[in-house]
Amino acid sequence: MDAIEVIGLTKRFGDTVAVNGINFSVKEGETFGFLGPNGAGKTTTIRMLTGMTRITSGRALIHGHDIVSDTRAAKQLMGIVAEISNVYDELSAWDNVVFAGRLYHLKRVDIQRNARDLLETFELYERRHDLAGSFSKGMKRRLTLAMGLVNRPKVLFLDEPTSGLDVQSRRIIRDVIQDLARKNVTVFLTTHDIEEANVTCDRVAIINRGVIAGIDAPEKLKQTIESLQSVEVSFDAVRPGVVEVLRALPQASGITKEGDKFRIYTADPPEILASLCALAQEQNLRPISITTRGPSLEEVFVRLTGLSIDTAKEEGETDAGLD
Amino acid sequence: MPGWIEEILYDLGAAWAIARKDMKIYYLKPSILVSSLLFPFVMFLAFAIGRDTTPEILLPGLLAITLLFSATSIGPVSIPIERRTKTFDRLLSAPISVRAIVLGASLSGAIFASAIGIVATAVGLIVLRIGIIHIVAFCAGIGLTSICFSTMGTLFASYRTENVGEVMSLLNLVRLPLLFISGVFIPIASMPAWGLSIARFSPLTYAHDLIRFAFDETTLFGPVTDVAVLVLTLIIFQVAGALLYQRSRE
Repeated sequence: MDAIEVIGLTKRFGDTVAVNGINFSVKEGETFGFLGPNGAGKTTTIRMLTGMTRITSGRALIHGHDIVSDTRAAKQLMGIVAEISNVYDELSAWDNVVFAGRLYHLKRVDIQRNARDLLETFELYERRHDLAGSFSKGMKRRLTLAMGLVNRPKVLFLDEPTSGLDVQSRRIIRDVIQDLARKNVTVFLTTHDIEEANVTCDRVAIINRGVIAGIDAPEKLKQTIESLQSVEVSFDAVRPGVVEVLRALPQASGITKEGDKFRIYTADPPEILASLCALAQEQNLRPISITTRGPSLEEVFVRLTGLSIDTAKEEGETDAGLD
Repeated sequence: MPGWIEEILYDLGAAWAIARKDMKIYYLKPSILVSSLLFPFVMFLAFAIGRDTTPEILLPGLLAITLLFSATSIGPVSIPIERRTKTFDRLLSAPISVRAIVLGASLSGAIFASAIGIVATAVGLIVLRIGIIHIVAFCAGIGLTSICFSTMGTLFASYRTENVGEVMSLLNLVRLPLLFISGVFIPIASMPAWGLSIARFSPLTYAHDLIRFAFDETTLFGPVTDVAVLVLTLIIFQVAGALLYQRSRE
C-alpha cells in the first residue's frame, strides 16, 4: 500500500483553479520532494493532504485512509511541520511538545518519553524549561519539528524545513530526515532549495500552475531533458571569435560562456566531443579541461516551470507561501 | 467501547488540552488577572455610587456584567492572534474535530469567567452583607452564563481575520446592547412592552434572572426556564461555532 495516494486532486478558490486534478503516489519510506515556484499549488496541496483545507474534488489517501471520510485515522498517522515555525512563544519548549502530544491523544507516559527523546535529538533538552519565545529562528524550527514528530508519525509533511536556517539547525534537521528514511517513515517535503531536494529526495514532483510538470527520481528527471545536457570546455587561451566557432558545431543547440569555460548544450554529448576535438586541432585550440554534464535539477525546474530559480526563491521569501 | 463514545472522549481530551494551553498562555498572566479582578469593583463604583439600589439587585447585575465581559475578553483576541502566528493551523491539522477546538477555546474562557465571578461574589457577600439562598441556582447561573458567553466570544472569533480589532468591534456591537436590553441596567419590570419583547431574545436576561433568583428568589421566568434557555443558547452557539470554523477551513 502506498503511504500517500493522490487521485485527481483539485482545489478551486472561486474561479481560480489552484490545484488542477493532480495524481501521484508516494511509497512507504520514500522521501518525496514537492517543488514549484510560489503560487504553483505546493502549500494548497499540502493543506489538502493534511485535512486543513477542503478538497474541491478528487481523493487523498494516507496509508489507505481517506483524508475526507476517515480524517481522524489519516491524521493520526501524520506529522506536520508548517513553513512558519508555529510554536507557542509563551510556552516552554517542553510544554509545546507536550501540548502537541495531547492533541494526538497519546498516553501521558508516551508523551513524556517522546518529548524527552525529541528534545534531546534536536539539542533542545537543556533549554526545555525556557520559553519558546526566547529561542532563535533555528531553535524554533527544531522545536516545530520535534512537535511534528511527537506522535511518531508514519508520514511526515515538511514545508520548507531548512529555509533560512543556521548551519547547526540545517545539519540537525537533515540528519533527522535521513534517520526517518532509515526508519521507513515517509517524508513529503516542499522546498525552494533545489539542491536540498536533489540530495535528500528519492523522487521529486515539480508542480507549476496547479499541474504536475514532471515527476521522477532527480537523476531520471534530469535525463528526460536531453537538450540540457552539455559539454564544458576550457582552452589554454581565449581567442576572439571562439564562441562563434563553437556555435557552428552541428550538434550544438546553444552555448554560454561561464568564466574561462564554454558550455555547449547538446542532445548528443559523445558525438559533439569528437567534433570538438577535431575543431580544436583545426583551429589550433588547446583544451585544458573537457567535462560532460547533465542538467542540474535547478535547470530542469527552470525548464519545466518557465521561471528562474532566483525569482522563485525571492517570491518565497516575500510571501509566506499561500499558494 | 462504542466508536462514538470513544470519539467524544477523544474530543473532550483535546478540548481540555486546548483549554489548559489557553489558560497558561492567555489567562494566568498577572496583568490579565489584575484587570479582570478589578473590573467588577470598577463596575460597582460606576453602578452603586449615587444610586439607591438594594444589594440583592446590585450584586446579580454586577455579576452578570462581570461574567459577560470576562468570558468574552480573551477568546476573540487569542484566536485571531493564533491565526496570525499560524498556531491555529496546529489545531486544524491535529486529529481532533472542529467541535473540540470550539469547546476547548470556550472552556478556558468559561473557567476564567467563573473564577472571577466567584471572587467577585465572595467579596460582594462580605461587603454587602447578603447571602445566597439557592446555591445550586447560583452555581448553574455562574457556570452556564460563563460557558454560554465564552462560546459567544469563540463564535465571533470564527470571522476569518488575523486582526483582533475587527473581531472586538463586531463583538461590541452585540455585547454592549445586551447590557441595556437584559435588565442589568434597567429593570425589565420597568421596561415598556417592546423592551420586554426584545429582552426575551437576550441570553443575558435569563442569566441575570437566574443569578438574581439565587440571591433573593425574585424571578421573571423561573429558574427552570432560565437554565433551559441558557443550555439551548449554549448548544446553538457551540453548533454554530463548529459550522463556522468548519467553513473557515475553505
